Amino acid sequence: MAKALVLAESVDAQRALAAGARTVADEVALVVVAGAPETGVADKAYDIQLPAGEAAENAYETVKSVFDQVAPEVVFFEPTASLKVIAGKLAAAAGSAIVANITALEGNVATNAYFGGLAEKKQVASGVAFYSNTGALFAEAAASGTDEVEAVAFVEPAQKIVLKGSNPVVLEGADLTKSDVIVGVGRGFAEQDQLKLAEDLAAKVGGDCGCSRPVAENLGWMPRNLYIGVSGVEAAPKAYIAAGISGQMQHMVGVKNAGTIFAINKDANAPIFKQCDYGIVGDVTAIIPEIIAAL
Amino acid sequence: MKIVAAIKVVPNDEAISVAGDRTLDYSKAAQQISIYDLNAIEAAAQLAAANGGSAVAISASGSKAGDAKMKKGILSRGLDELFMIADDAMVTADSLTTAKALAKLVQDNAADYDVIIAGDGSADVYAGAVSVQLAAVLGVPVVNNVTKIEVNGSVATVERTLDTEVQTLEVPLPAVLAVSPEIAEPRIAGMKDILAAGKKPATITDAAAAGAETAGVVAVEEIKAPVPAPRKCEIYGADDVAKFAEALAAAIR
Amino acid sequence: MDFSLTDEQELLLESIDEFAERYFDEDTIKAMYENHDCPDEIADAYRDAGFGYMGLPESVGGIDTDYLTLALMTERLYHKTGCMTPFMTAMLAMKDIADFGTEEQAAMIMERYEQSGRCVAALGISEPAAGSDNNGMTTCVVKQEDGTYVMNGQKTWVTNGAVAQFLLIIAKDESPAYENNKYSMWLIPADSEGVSIGYLDKVGQQAISFVDVFLDNVKMTEANRVGEAGKGFYLLMKNFEFERCLVVAQGLGEAQAAMDDAANYVSERVAFGKPLAANPLVRDLLVEAETILENVRTYLYKCCWMLDNGQSIRSEVAMLKRYATKGCTRVADIAMSVYGGLGYTNEVRIGRIWKDLRGNEFAGGAVEVMSYIAGREIVKKYKK
Repeated sequence: MAKALVLAESVDAQRALAAGARTVADEVALVVVAGAPETGVADKAYDIQLPAGEAAENAYETVKSVFDQVAPEVVFFEPTASLKVIAGKLAAAAGSAIVANITALEGNVATNAYFGGLAEKKQVASGVAFYSNTGALFAEAAASGTDEVEAVAFVEPAQKIVLKGSNPVVLEGADLTKSDVIVGVGRGFAEQDQLKLAEDLAAKVGGDCGCSRPVAENLGWMPRNLYIGVSGVEAAPKAYIAAGISGQMQHMVGVKNAGTIFAINKDANAPIFKQCDYGIVGDVTAIIPEIIAAL
Repeated sequence: MKIVAAIKVVPNDEAISVAGDRTLDYSKAAQQISIYDLNAIEAAAQLAAANGGSAVAISASGSKAGDAKMKKGILSRGLDELFMIADDAMVTADSLTTAKALAKLVQDNAADYDVIIAGDGSADVYAGAVSVQLAAVLGVPVVNNVTKIEVNGSVATVERTLDTEVQTLEVPLPAVLAVSPEIAEPRIAGMKDILAAGKKPATITDAAAAGAETAGVVAVEEIKAPVPAPRKCEIYGADDVAKFAEALAAAIR
Repeated sequence: MDFSLTDEQELLLESIDEFAERYFDEDTIKAMYENHDCPDEIADAYRDAGFGYMGLPESVGGIDTDYLTLALMTERLYHKTGCMTPFMTAMLAMKDIADFGTEEQAAMIMERYEQSGRCVAALGISEPAAGSDNNGMTTCVVKQEDGTYVMNGQKTWVTNGAVAQFLLIIAKDESPAYENNKYSMWLIPADSEGVSIGYLDKVGQQAISFVDVFLDNVKMTEANRVGEAGKGFYLLMKNFEFERCLVVAQGLGEAQAAMDDAANYVSERVAFGKPLAANPLVRDLLVEAETILENVRTYLYKCCWMLDNGQSIRSEVAMLKRYATKGCTRVADIAMSVYGGLGYTNEVRIGRIWKDLRGNEFAGGAVEVMSYIAGREIVKKYKK
């Protein structure tokens, strides 16, 4: 009888990964380090009693004790920074590797992106399999389970990381995974002032703004939680409007499941024009106001 | 103070093409340092410079990574010495196998390290798993998403930038720190750096000679390009905004 | 014969690629052409990567570099940016001072460059009545009774003249007479009393300032002189050969950028139901352009190799400059033809490159003067 362990933080991921785990295992255990576990999604939930002000990574020993107790054949985890650390260490202790960001799982064959989605890699893990996924893969799967929750006392680790302080990053912008329409901002915008145009277009089409990685990381014009692509958000809106986005695969992999892709770019040779449904050649500053006027 | 930069050399993804049978064709793709590892190298070089120490590179990459030009390219960016396993078994090696190979390089060549700096993720798999498993194999703490590092004696104070918060953490050394690209902009190597790099020491061997295992715990079955979702690719000129807007209106209806 | 590059050359070119990619985009380039200057950020980065020291002698703090490598890096920078940059011309003026000036003069310009990252000196040779005909120069320096000197005259087409901190002026000693062929080189602060500039509106190459310099009773001392009295022009001519190689390298890079665009466009643009690439006339244009690029490249590298081996290339570089600068204009012209009407708009960069390249037919000596020099040598060479 196969057993699965799920490690997740967000409510959505707990539910989806537990449902996904159910598709390959008869018994599903859910472990939540920070926050409260969902009930009714796993056969048993383990609520790690992380002391206030403690870095989540310090719960590794505690999670390990649950892992040893459950002795799963497969682990699903949400790839948050802390869970990547805890799961990575659990895997190393079990003699396993991490199969990250899986996009498909058929039996024991897991698929994930290779070179930012240029290819797909199919692989089979021996021993305990460790898969990470945001939950998106199993969004359609139905979760089931009991209300049983076991509080697990925190075990002091030998090596400790000390959390000295934390400044919240005020989240700006939408949760793009839930957006119907997204206007993607790329480097075709020459100045930060011009982002107003993208916002206006998003408002007109009832959508939200996202961006490419350089716009968030190199230019710092938009918050990190809004960049789309490998290592950023994967979104599946009804319509994606790529504005001034060249169409590098590292970005496009984040919208490959979009319904219809629109592209505005002044470079007629931009790769985006080979990956869109409708494209228009022109500068974003000239074209966007005209589109808004025409809608 | 000794800093180690753990890096991967990969084919230039912009020059990888897809063959007729949907396998990847690397024949035109030159080897290059994985993009976010450039930031890790710069962070390592700056940390060593700030604390009066040396910075060395370790890498477990494919056999093509082991040429003299790549050695000079890596060492022209502010690092003092290179220890590399250049072996095709490492190209698609799983995270644990790679971590163990890197750990072996550290133990044999830089056992007195204080900090190992790794990138955010490699260009090929972008998992951020090797850094964590390297720390696990070495039995030291690890922090990922690091955007600032200060070392005071045997403790590093690091800033870690997550989507919702910026944490300040104290990490006992030695430790592994996986850094985000914002930590440091890679330097552009000049001719003096390149010439000096040619004189710096490097040890480049295959996995067996380095004493690293290649058996692995994840078997790769197939790497193939996906069949792209068919897109219409109807492209209009700037004077055809009306048609474009019409299609957009229909899609969001 | 070995046409392969060394690891070091390849890595240097990759560094140039990183520099070009990081700092140059079309909007930045457009601003450079409007402002006749490059942003501080770019000048600083060029210096910080050590590029600005290449070609200057190690004895003054430069990085000794062979001519071929300098040509390669110049070609690559212009190829990857598709625009004019002031750096190589600035380096050549510094090289003149480092090669011919005193230790103090060399140390001073190196210190200024280290501090500013900016063009330290602009070279003033041509005059309104003396372009190709050097002897027509009338700018003249007269020694005063107290041992000081006074300079009067006008220089034109002074590249980097509006941004340089110093001017390196060639002037006749004592008399402006046509027959007088005694010249000296003088290094004066650009803000010296009596120096004023007038802006020239060039057809192309506007990223680099190009000015008239008016010299009205400019007071100098012996300390301002660079090199031996009366030998100024002779000294400068030593660096002319390489300057012409660099003009060709710049043009080759920009022409290659135009070719990159045009030769890719033919696969994108559909006309008469087929990509342009399928049209034999279009292919013939591409073959012509590619042949010119290949020939220019090979000939340029050979000239640099000869220089690196201590050989004179007086005749060779004249033929190279004549062939290459006209050829590169032709390549841009072909690129424009391939783009059709679009090529004649500012929507694409071909027009800018075309205008830049036309100017290179004048830079460092007009093509007709090159014919004059090479023609004379060819007659000598074949005379039995």
